[in-house]
Amino acid sequence: MRTDPVEYEGARTPVRDDLREAHRFILDKVRSPGTWWSGAERGAIAAEARGAARCALCRERRQSLGAVRGRHDGPHTLPENVVDTIHRIRSDPARLSRSWFDGVIAGGLEVTRYVELVSVTSVMAGLDYFARALGVEPLPLPEPRAGEPSRNRPAGAKEAGAWVPMIDPADAAGPEADLYGGGDFVPNIVRALSLVPDEVRLLRRSTDAHYVPVAQIPDPTYRRALARPQMELVAARVSALNQCFY
Amino acid sequence: MLRVSGQVEGQAVELTAVTDKTAGDAGVPHGARLLAFTDAAMGEDDALLDRERRALRAVLSPEAFVDACALIAAFNVVDRIADATGIPLDPMLYAASGDVRAELRLARFGSAANTPGAV
Repeated sequence: MRTDPVEYEGARTPVRDDLREAHRFILDKVRSPGTWWSGAERGAIAAEARGAARCALCRERRQSLGAVRGRHDGPHTLPENVVDTIHRIRSDPARLSRSWFDGVIAGGLEVTRYVELVSVTSVMAGLDYFARALGVEPLPLPEPRAGEPSRNRPAGAKEAGAWVPMIDPADAAGPEADLYGGGDFVPNIVRALSLVPDEVRLLRRSTDAHYVPVAQIPDPTYRRALARPQMELVAARVSALNQCFY
Repeated sequence: MLRVSGQVEGQAVELTAVTDKTAGDAGVPHGARLLAFTDAAMGEDDALLDRERRALRAVLSPEAFVDACALIAAFNVVDRIADATGIPLDPMLYAASGDVRAELRLARFGSAANTPGAV
């Protein structure tokens, strides 16, 4: 069953077709079985990511300099450690650290499942920020699709200076030959999710529609209706507000 | 890319406007409106966001306004992925951005610890 087309009927501004199609694609992937999580679990991750934006504990933690204990706003269907991981990534990414990540993995969340969770949480943040900026309600989450995760761990993924294993462009072969699009320069942000290759494909589709096609990123003359300096100014301010060094 | 794309357009971009909320329009057309809208979309004040949205739509085409919304979405995605996977800044970008990182004092961000030598 195909995921319904996305319409932004409440918007006072028409949303271009490629964005609406990308949003349909993202929602379709969110509700479908992934590599390590089922469709129902991915949908639950998406729902937690959405809920984190209004979570009282997350708000209190953002405003505090120290550790704040408590329970995240619910109800929850995922284990508590998974819920906390989603909420922290969604609501306060600036405070994520290597020691925090090591604790998450030591707590029993496999790194493959962690990477997929990061992807779903992050693309949902994107969808919801888009709706907020546009001035419409967030898109409804579709019903999950039945089926089993594929459980495919790519042989080429290895330690490469990040917290998580990644596939080097030179090792992107076989089923992963398409992963990086054949560009000369593959930035780490494109490689970041490569332990779960389908999430790289999802990120590239999202980036192509919301920013610029990955291969065009280094071209300063590439633009949309906004001129490139206007685009980069918005991008840089978002990253500054998120306190993202990358 | 902000500085380079500004040079291509013949604009002297004021980089400090990225982190200094009193620094004006950054030398970019409608820069102040874009920054105020971005700040509002990232914040929690719905009434302020309504005002800034109206103000931005008054100066941009509908297509350009949607682009601004899409960019806010895009970088909320990639910032989270970058910070949650602990990727370092690519060596080529690191080498080319030393002056920008220093001017904007980006080493104060916690995720700078993911890039060797950045802190």
